[in-house]
Amino acid sequence: MPAPLPLTVNGRSRPLEGVPDSERLLDTLRWRFGLKGTKEGCRSGDCGACTVLVDGVSTLSCLTLTHEVEGSALTTIEGMGEDPDGRVVQDAFERAGALQCGYCTPGFVVALVGLLKERGRAASIDDLLGDLGGNLCRCTGYLSIARALSLLPKEPP
Amino acid sequence: MPPFALVAPASVDAALAELRTAAPGEVAVLAGGTDLLFALDAGKNTPRRVVSLRRLPWRTLDWNGAVLTVGSTLPLRALEQDAEVAQRHPGLREATRAVGSVQLRHRATLGGNLGRAAPASDLIPVLLALDAEVDLVGPTGARWVPIDQFLVGSNRTALGAGELIRSVRFPEPRPSAYLWQRVRPANDISQVAVAAAYSPSTDRWRLAVGGIPPRALRLPEAEEMLRSRAPADSQIRGAAEWTARHLVIATDRRASEEYRRHLVATLLERAVQRVATTRPGAR
Repeated sequence: MPAPLPLTVNGRSRPLEGVPDSERLLDTLRWRFGLKGTKEGCRSGDCGACTVLVDGVSTLSCLTLTHEVEGSALTTIEGMGEDPDGRVVQDAFERAGALQCGYCTPGFVVALVGLLKERGRAASIDDLLGDLGGNLCRCTGYLSIARALSLLPKEPP
Repeated sequence: MPPFALVAPASVDAALAELRTAAPGEVAVLAGGTDLLFALDAGKNTPRRVVSLRRLPWRTLDWNGAVLTVGSTLPLRALEQDAEVAQRHPGLREATRAVGSVQLRHRATLGGNLGRAAPASDLIPVLLALDAEVDLVGPTGARWVPIDQFLVGSNRTALGAGELIRSVRFPEPRPSAYLWQRVRPANDISQVAVAAAYSPSTDRWRLAVGGIPPRALRLPEAEEMLRSRAPADSQIRGAAEWTARHLVIATDRRASEEYRRHLVATLLERAVQRVATTRPGAR
């Protein structure tokens, strides 16, 4: 019996046993942890709906094998309420009404939180929008997402 | 996804041993996985074992004087964010940013892109324009292969049985540019892409085109037509139009031959203009 795979999910240590070598992180999160906020869109890296943070870095969970992130701290949309950047992004999306059907929203929020961690709050709206190019909204609700970016506070809390 | 056994050797020797004992097609090498996972899921690649490079000490970026060496498993995002790369190899940074999306570049690697050698690779044209050299390790030791010899054809490289890409070396900082055209800026493949660079040490231009199957190509005739660091506008246009007329270009589902010829002329002219007008003092 192999040793459990060490993982931290949204701040809690949650080692896993019996994960097949070929399992994707997306499926582990949704089906083993029941964290259904992370969405499966294209399953080929084209839409960004499955974005999660791996040690704070935005990652496509559909193109990542679970065993490849062994020992990492994972943050999904369900963990954003515990994260200072996550809270300001969720607040901005809420105030801007930046969602229509909502399917792409977790991916947008997590990707944006990853960008704030990487680039800081001083990044310009245009730069952030450009770096969100890997996230698709099939309702085409991009204007309200851009509005949410304009509502982000420029300074850390 | 069809099942396979995943192994993550902790040393280069152990990784090479994994490859040595495997029959052809039985083993696949995993770097960032952004392309491989797609191929595995689609059943295009059906290995019994997948050898992950994640524990190897190859996530490196080193400057030795003017020589840049990029480890094969460094995430592309790190290459893109390096201030010195942006300053000394602007075309390399532009090409890196053309790959996928931020999330994808957090995992995708230069070694993976090169090992796959896709016809639409955004990195290969600029590697051609920068005369990059590929550092391979294998059962009989290490060797350096110039990028134009490394590329054998569409999806085919000079990588021998049991060999791994360890790093890529860029011998000389060059004013350079990378321009592309595609339907969607992120997560798309270029219909045509062009890399241009000027080599101060040899006083020669390097031009390459990508996005056109079957493979990325250097453009030696056009390079010859640009005779100086600052060619006349008419020389630049002449070289661009000659290339657009003479290149073998196919129509596929991404773009027609006619549109691609138009793009080759336009992008080549713009890329050379951009490099030619780079401030000479800029490193």
